[in-house]
Amino acid sequence: MYQFPKDLYTDVRIEESAHSTFFVKNGDVESDSATSETGAIIRVYDGTMWYTGTTNDIAGIQKEIDNLASLATPNPDILNDPVVAAFEANKDTVLLYEGDNDLRKVPREQSKALILSYLEECVDKSIPELKIYTGMYNSRHVKKQFYSSKGAAILQDMQACGMGIFFCFTVNNITTEGGKYYQKLSFDRLTGRTAEIITERDRYLDYARNAVDVVPGDYTCILAPTVTAMFTHESFGHKSEADFMLNDKTLRDEWVMGKKVGNDKITIRDVGNLPNNGYVPYDDEGTKARGISLIENGVLTGRLHDAKSAVALEESLTGNSRAQSYLHTPIVRMTNTYMEGGTDDPEEMIEETKDGIYVYQVNYGTGMSTFTMQPSLCYRIRDGKLCEPIRANVVTGNVFKTLFDIDAVGTDFELFNTFSCGKNGQSVPVSAGGPTIRVKTLTVN
Amino acid sequence: MKEKFGSVNTVSTVKIEENQIVAFQKNASRTYSFRVYKDGFVGIHYQVGEMSDEAGYKRAEENLALKRPYPYPLATGNRKRDKCEHIYTDKELLDIAKEALAHICEKYPQFTLSGSFSQTTDTQSRTNDNGMDFENKDSSVHVSFSYKHKDSKNITDGYFDIGQREFSFEKLYDMADNYLGSFETQVALPEEAILQTQYYGLLGMVKGCLDAESLSLGTSLFTGKMGQKLFSEDFTLIDDCSDEECWHSVFWDGEGYVKENDRRIFIDKGVPLLGYSDRRIAEKYNVPYTGNAWNNYTDIPSNGKVNLLIKRSPKTTKELLDGKLSIVLDNASGGGFNEKGDYVMPVHHAFLCDGEKFLGSLPPFTLSTNMFDMFGKDFIGVGSDQPVFNDKSVLMKVKITPNE
Repeated sequence: MYQFPKDLYTDVRIEESAHSTFFVKNGDVESDSATSETGAIIRVYDGTMWYTGTTNDIAGIQKEIDNLASLATPNPDILNDPVVAAFEANKDTVLLYEGDNDLRKVPREQSKALILSYLEECVDKSIPELKIYTGMYNSRHVKKQFYSSKGAAILQDMQACGMGIFFCFTVNNITTEGGKYYQKLSFDRLTGRTAEIITERDRYLDYARNAVDVVPGDYTCILAPTVTAMFTHESFGHKSEADFMLNDKTLRDEWVMGKKVGNDKITIRDVGNLPNNGYVPYDDEGTKARGISLIENGVLTGRLHDAKSAVALEESLTGNSRAQSYLHTPIVRMTNTYMEGGTDDPEEMIEETKDGIYVYQVNYGTGMSTFTMQPSLCYRIRDGKLCEPIRANVVTGNVFKTLFDIDAVGTDFELFNTFSCGKNGQSVPVSAGGPTIRVKTLTVN
Repeated sequence: MKEKFGSVNTVSTVKIEENQIVAFQKNASRTYSFRVYKDGFVGIHYQVGEMSDEAGYKRAEENLALKRPYPYPLATGNRKRDKCEHIYTDKELLDIAKEALAHICEKYPQFTLSGSFSQTTDTQSRTNDNGMDFENKDSSVHVSFSYKHKDSKNITDGYFDIGQREFSFEKLYDMADNYLGSFETQVALPEEAILQTQYYGLLGMVKGCLDAESLSLGTSLFTGKMGQKLFSEDFTLIDDCSDEECWHSVFWDGEGYVKENDRRIFIDKGVPLLGYSDRRIAEKYNVPYTGNAWNNYTDIPSNGKVNLLIKRSPKTTKELLDGKLSIVLDNASGGGFNEKGDYVMPVHHAFLCDGEKFLGSLPPFTLSTNMFDMFGKDFIGVGSDQPVFNDKSVLMKVKITPNE
């Protein structure tokens, strides 16, 4: 193992990753590749500064450690540095994706055949508006090793495979793109989706043919589970990341534990050790994942930490320090974040709504004090019934107000593995979940 | 026939958290694409880290079995371009960060800054058995800050960033003065809304519409309208990889094509002339070949490498404004174009500007326009100078609605 320099904290994270991609457009195979990569990031800390380097030469890690140590100032008291003291020294091996569970063992011909069969079954070339159809498959498998001068030694793995079938329909020179994308942790869970894909195809075809422009304004909005998932992630999840309030008194006062921040019906959690897209049994500082309750019945109960933020706010580690890859240093991130299901009947929510909008699907969202979501599919609600599809650009609301404006939380909870989260130039896989919810007022443009 | 792509890249970064330098990071990477062409197919091996040519081409030859089609002749040419102006040592970069951060924090103690000072240097190359020997070197320093007023309940109030090949403290300080020095002054929304912005993101939908495949399949909003006047007489759109702010972009495309003078006009005085294509798309749809393939290290080339720039006006930004005021977005996200080309953007924070200097913070609003309007009847122009962003900025009329 490595010779860690005296009077400094050092950690080493080695990643071996394998990726594959297959993409078909109107019958042409436009992408068919498989790549693999091994690299490491080395971090040295002297109590004042982190010195960080990356390398693809695994045999040269010791040399990199020594180079970085030469830049740092030895600190005999480094183990008593609050952040270093907080680091855990776990020793564990958590390999869930070996042997028959290993996606790398799925023959490429098998994954290609899956996509081609879905295209065969789901593409109806007799639809005159159909201009483009695509099918794609991707997979990733990552094995990580983590070692620290405090004695941590962790080996863990993660994988996911994605499959999507998409359609472009052109009506009156306006092209609508839609389809269905799945991301799962095992290949077999991508099979048997034909009926769902065809239903989604027809939904987007109906939208292309019949969508009318929204009249901008404030509406009662019912959010489908995938939209609630996006809302939960963007509107509240990012605000639970504690690195934005390290020494900020205004924000600390605003986000004090025990504060009522939403309707009693709302409970939001982040759980890193669920085997979903945000699965992180140990984070990239070597901390074991905890399940964190962020909001419990509308009351602020927790937040997400790396070691630095936990020390600054005098709270416990949570296992939320994550990096996109070995080329990045870890920062506070979500893992599997979701709003718990409630007791309200989703169909009754629609029946009880005289005038509103049902947001069925969104492309992406952002979260500041004002959160935004860009819908790809909405429907008008009139007199308790779903009516015509609506073409809308953006749904917005004030986070602080909206959490109180949620007046119904459905029983139909779902956790979605298709999310990817961006922050400070890093993208990490996450899951997000929730049930159907109703919000008294959101602005739709 | 054999071909090799190479990229040697070094990124040094000084990280700032809450007004403190907290980390120095250095990433050095070498990536290669070894390619062997035979009987209309190409075998490709993508390598991260060093590998001998012999081993790389052997792996590529084995991958011919994947039958990735590439029936086109290899390009040739000999050219080396070096855009580097100054490569800073790591110590120099750290010293720049320390001095600049201390200056800004001392002048604006009511703000908390986080971000980075980062220097990227890279050398990209392409060589093949047909005599090609291309190399492109570049180096730039980028400073990016998110800032937060100490009394604000937002996670972040705004952002500013600057890219330079030769670092200038003065230009960074001017930018900080504009953003931080004007933040606390509240001003009202103007009667007439003129947006002043870096325009790269706004050209995304135009770019999609100029895709030769989309034009051929009928999924582009320009389908059936090529050759017609769709935009302003003053709107000329050029694919230009010679531009000063075209950071770390090579002069060849993914198939080794080099444009004459590194430029090609796609929209001339408001009239779309042709779509962009790679060899496969040009052949498949029988359209002009324009040499716009992505430099794909892992697979066959794909269409779409276009660096679209709007032709500048001979007038400065202030002259184009002609005494009127502009709106510069600082913190806006979540909206975008819909499939009709309508554009809506919620704006959390923006500044009122005289074209060069900010006059104060505007209340939140929602901005709306349409692709055809923003570059058509509402298009004012791109100034000849580089105010506010140390980069080109476009001026266009937009509609704004105050947020409640």
